[in-house]
Amino acid sequence: MEWLVVLIPTLPLVAAIVTASLGPRVLRSQSHLPVVIALALSLLCSLVLVVQVQRGYTENSDTGFEVPIQLWSWAVIEDAHVPEISGLTAAGKSLDEPITRPFRVDITLRADALTATMLAMVTFISTLVALFSVGYMHDDRGYWRFFTYLGLFVFSMTMLVSVSNFLLLFVFWEGVGVCSYLLIGFWYTRPSAAAAGKKAFLVNRVGDFGLIIAVFLIWTTYGTVNYHDVLHTPAGKVVVDSKTVQEAVSEKAAGMDPGSTLIRGVLGQSRIKTNDFVIGPDGELVVLAICLLFLLGACGKSAQFPLHIWLPDAMEGPTPVSALIHAATMVTAGVYLVVRCTPLFAACPTAQLIVACVGGFTALLAAVIALTQFDLKRVLAYSTISQLGYMFLALGTGTMAGITAGFFHLFTHAFFKALLFLGAGSVMHAMGDVIDMRKFGGLRHILPKTHLTFLCGCLALAGIPLFSGFWSKDQIVKAVKEKADQLEVSAVTLADLDTVASAPPEKQVFTIPPPWSASIYRWLHWSAMFTALLTAFYTFRAYYLTFWGRQYVPEEADHPHEPASMWRPLAVLSVCALAIGGVLEIYHQPAGYLQQTPSLSGESFIPKLDGEVALISSVIALAGVGIASVLYLGDRPFVGWLQAFFEFRWLSRVTRRAVYCSPYRLSSEKFYLDELYGCVVIWPLRTLANISGIVDRWLIDGLVNLIGWLPRFAGWMVRSLHKGLLQFYALGMVLGLLLLVLWMWWIR
Amino acid sequence: MLDLKLLLLVTLFVPLVGVGVIWVVAPLGDRAVRWIALLVASVSLICSTAIVFSSAAATQAELAVTDVAWLANSSVTPLDVRFHVGLDGLSLWMFGLSPLLTLTAILVSWEAIRDRVALFYGMLLLLEFGCVGVFVARDIVLFYVFFEFTLIPLFFLVGVWGSEQRQYAAVKFFLFTLAGSVLTLLGLLAIVVWNANQWNGGTWTFSIPDLSTNLRLAASEGNLPVKFQLMVFLALFAGFAIKVPLFPLHTWLPLAHVQAPAAGSVMLAGVLLKIGTYGFVRFGILMLPDAILHPGIQVVPNVVASVFPWVSTGTVFVYPWLLSLAVIGIVYGALVALAQDDFKRLIAYSSVSHMGFCVLGLFALNRPGLQGGTLQMVNHGISTGALFALVGMIYERYHTREISALSGLAKRLPILSFFMLLFTFSSIGLPGLNGFAGEVLVLLGMFQRAWSQSIAGWQPLLIAVAVLAVSGVVLGAWYMLYLVQRVFFGPLKEPAQHAAHAPACDLSPREILAVAPLAILVVWIGVAPGFFLSRTAQTLNDVEAVAENAFTRHHEDYQRLWSAVPKVTAPAVELSRRVP
Repeated sequence: MEWLVVLIPTLPLVAAIVTASLGPRVLRSQSHLPVVIALALSLLCSLVLVVQVQRGYTENSDTGFEVPIQLWSWAVIEDAHVPEISGLTAAGKSLDEPITRPFRVDITLRADALTATMLAMVTFISTLVALFSVGYMHDDRGYWRFFTYLGLFVFSMTMLVSVSNFLLLFVFWEGVGVCSYLLIGFWYTRPSAAAAGKKAFLVNRVGDFGLIIAVFLIWTTYGTVNYHDVLHTPAGKVVVDSKTVQEAVSEKAAGMDPGSTLIRGVLGQSRIKTNDFVIGPDGELVVLAICLLFLLGACGKSAQFPLHIWLPDAMEGPTPVSALIHAATMVTAGVYLVVRCTPLFAACPTAQLIVACVGGFTALLAAVIALTQFDLKRVLAYSTISQLGYMFLALGTGTMAGITAGFFHLFTHAFFKALLFLGAGSVMHAMGDVIDMRKFGGLRHILPKTHLTFLCGCLALAGIPLFSGFWSKDQIVKAVKEKADQLEVSAVTLADLDTVASAPPEKQVFTIPPPWSASIYRWLHWSAMFTALLTAFYTFRAYYLTFWGRQYVPEEADHPHEPASMWRPLAVLSVCALAIGGVLEIYHQPAGYLQQTPSLSGESFIPKLDGEVALISSVIALAGVGIASVLYLGDRPFVGWLQAFFEFRWLSRVTRRAVYCSPYRLSSEKFYLDELYGCVVIWPLRTLANISGIVDRWLIDGLVNLIGWLPRFAGWMVRSLHKGLLQFYALGMVLGLLLLVLWMWWIR
Repeated sequence: MLDLKLLLLVTLFVPLVGVGVIWVVAPLGDRAVRWIALLVASVSLICSTAIVFSSAAATQAELAVTDVAWLANSSVTPLDVRFHVGLDGLSLWMFGLSPLLTLTAILVSWEAIRDRVALFYGMLLLLEFGCVGVFVARDIVLFYVFFEFTLIPLFFLVGVWGSEQRQYAAVKFFLFTLAGSVLTLLGLLAIVVWNANQWNGGTWTFSIPDLSTNLRLAASEGNLPVKFQLMVFLALFAGFAIKVPLFPLHTWLPLAHVQAPAAGSVMLAGVLLKIGTYGFVRFGILMLPDAILHPGIQVVPNVVASVFPWVSTGTVFVYPWLLSLAVIGIVYGALVALAQDDFKRLIAYSSVSHMGFCVLGLFALNRPGLQGGTLQMVNHGISTGALFALVGMIYERYHTREISALSGLAKRLPILSFFMLLFTFSSIGLPGLNGFAGEVLVLLGMFQRAWSQSIAGWQPLLIAVAVLAVSGVVLGAWYMLYLVQRVFFGPLKEPAQHAAHAPACDLSPREILAVAPLAILVVWIGVAPGFFLSRTAQTLNDVEAVAENAFTRHHEDYQRLWSAVPKVTAPAVELSRRVP
């Protein structure tokens, strides 16, 4: 059990190192072997782990199940921190915690239900993507480089979900970012790829800026960055095993103090049991700050508004990378983070509301942009942003139903979105790297297998009943609706309002009263349903544009083909996309399994299908598909007319100038957000940099030179007096005497 | 024990011996000179490595101490200048790094320097002698001699083998740093004199450990006048802040870097800048704790204050100013770096930014900050030293430092690009590499200082400093990745006059050898910084104790000073809406 969770990340790392050292000279065209084998083994381990976590849970089901495994200490600084006195008294009332805290970062992995699920998903998809890449990348010069990066990425990603420490989370959070940077810029000779890689890294850095500050705040607030509880025995041993720690805690409670000190992890079981997250006088404010900074980090990694701008550009990378990193795994790290920190967010309803708003807004925004894109991969990229928005919306409800739904959607989305991207990759491969949907059409006879599998993905994404996406999306919509209902009820019946009103004024700012929240959630519910309509529409628009209509291919496509190594992974994924949601739904697996995670075991809950919501969702999805069919299936008679209408051509005909803010232009130009950031962020910073450069060269260095020049100037002034001319000295002497005499006469 | 002593002396004096040998064999030709320089540097590197990785370094706070009378003759004069060398946690890693970077510098110049070769390597070894000496000196006179001595070889390295404006740069560098260090000498002497009068019955001891013990005791008992400390600190500040360099005093650095040959830049960025931060801790914090932490003293006499009433409130708070200068350096250095079109200028300004992190960490004055700051000194030495070495290799191939003249080098020079990317990642603090380990501890220390160990009245400022410092990390990624994108990615572009020559070759084994040890250290420190931290912990915990003691003493002063300031309260906001 312990070694499994260590093995899962280690295998890809070893494979990456092997590929890097042997790839260019020895393995050459077989460079995929180490990575593919390692990924397959990791997948096997992950599946075993999933079963074992389930088994471990049934043995001690009262606490939830987690197994931390400590490997080595990254850094230790003894007695680094003295928590605030107020914090100590608030936190240390039940368990005598140490007065000073060591700054201790151990390389500790842990297995629990959440981690095991993520691991299974990540290794499954990455194995299929690696297999797909064998065909897709086969004649690329950087074949070995690609698989090295891929191995490194899977290592970072699996570590990201299995570490048990916020600082290490940050380490691998940036680690996946670097792999993404390297893979986006894989074809580095293309300027656009190099620029996209840099953009992705920097936008992510802005998010990481929030994340690392959150980690620092966690350290100053809780005096540890671990998730898990740590027991320091008198002999100096450090115990992380959750069972032993729990026993020690209960012994302490019973008065049998073994003399050891407990440092309660931020997400440790003992803290969760006492629900002790608000510490100190400004505790609520600090928790809010931590949550919002986490959200900023999550927005960067999971491409949420306002930091979503990097993801569409990231499509410059090879398509398998887009499928793996920018659709299925890395971009879900933000969702994972928020799910992981559920107890923290639960302590701060305002933060939850903001999460929901960000998610709901991003979902709508990205869906609107996806409507008018002609680059197939970009449509999929915006749809990824939009679906991630759904997940955040679900997490923002803060209820168990919502969190489960969000995570369920993460799981199903990974399969069908990876499928869609790989399908797009297959199209691209056949079309000679052309991905503009205006340059090809009617491909269903040329690429029959891709067509069928792509259709499966579309059905799942559009939320057509009985396919994967339907179940998870339905649960999200339902969770938001229930949250709104619940808040409306509680707002009227409970006395919350009085407590809010009687709170001190500085606290009121951070507490949004239930009636407001209820109406916000209600709006989000409507917006989610509208987004579902848009999703179905743009998905099938892309599908019809690519596979239906008149058959034509671009000049670059010299021999359109689908190698077996490429369509087989597609077939596996399309089975998943069709069935996995339904199968899990029937057995109530997502909720039940996830609740075994200690930090999510708050309330027991069994999701039920809500007939009304399901019916409405089905109608909406079918309506979206219907509209797309009417517009794009036949000769497309209305498309041009509709486009002209939404471009406000009728207005520009009147005003005789182009309308830049027509709905169509806003959507196709991505609401000008890139340009906006260029004006508001990049340009001022660049200007500031240039001004600083000038100031540095002329003002600051000028002052230095001035000081250096002063002695020379003084010397020059005095030098003229010493010319060695006798007459001059004589004149000076006479003048001096004269002055002296005058002065003496004057003072007489 | 004897072994370590001997090893330390060998590390210190082998370069000096090497200079003599080079002088002798110079007529034999450049080849012999190069190999002898390499041999000498290797010997000194082996010895220093043996010391820093010895088991004694893990357990003892002070090691390899040699203490013999030097200029002491107590019957005639009260002076007691000793040849007193040794290591402790603060100097250990910088001592280990200096010979390593010398080796890199020698390998980098192997083919680049063809003019007056013997003199060049002689100067380089003299520079190593000075650098090692600064960090091992435990006597103020010895320290100051080495401190000034480092200027001379570097002056010649820049002035003789530099680029177009080499003489201007050399003179500016020399005068700038000399101007500061003269004041530093005054400050150091003031400490010695005060100590002699107060404690030693007239004997002038120059021993750094003795002085710091005496002064910290006097300070903790309140016997060391704050005004004296402040004035001495300002004198020290003049020298050390120019050396670091702190924000407004940095303009010599880009110039010197741009004009210096690659080897000079490596040593300058890698070792010489750290003397400033080292001096701040060694003398500033350990000997004059109140100077930094005192909540303020009146700087003008009452007579003046009665005439000009507005200056009567003129008090000096060193601590917030220091931190602000450091953080301004971080952000400003990064911004200016962003505007550069010259490789070496860009990396020079990144040094200004990164040294700001060191200062910030050290002056967070808690354990994470001090440890992080000390580690960051080493980290910056490694990654910036390596970056300058790599830029030197590019310059050797294309004879240009202009960023816009080059593009897509990753295709032509894959190995060089790999190393460049690695050290760039290290420099921007990518987790898993060394820069992160230092930066995260520095920032952690600063956040701790700003939140849970904050100082009454200064909290908003401290928080602003901490957050701005983190934003420096984002800017750092920007300019470095921008550099990498422009030079190494994109379509291949080489300078026009170069096209006639044969295409540039990738790194030779010699060049790989120059940067590979640094690359290994980058990964090692990144994956297991605990090993490196554990060897500095003892000494730095001591430093923290001194600072904490001073904070405790001044705690009430802070409280009193700021109790008069009215608290700003958030305006009441009417949010709730009653539901009938």
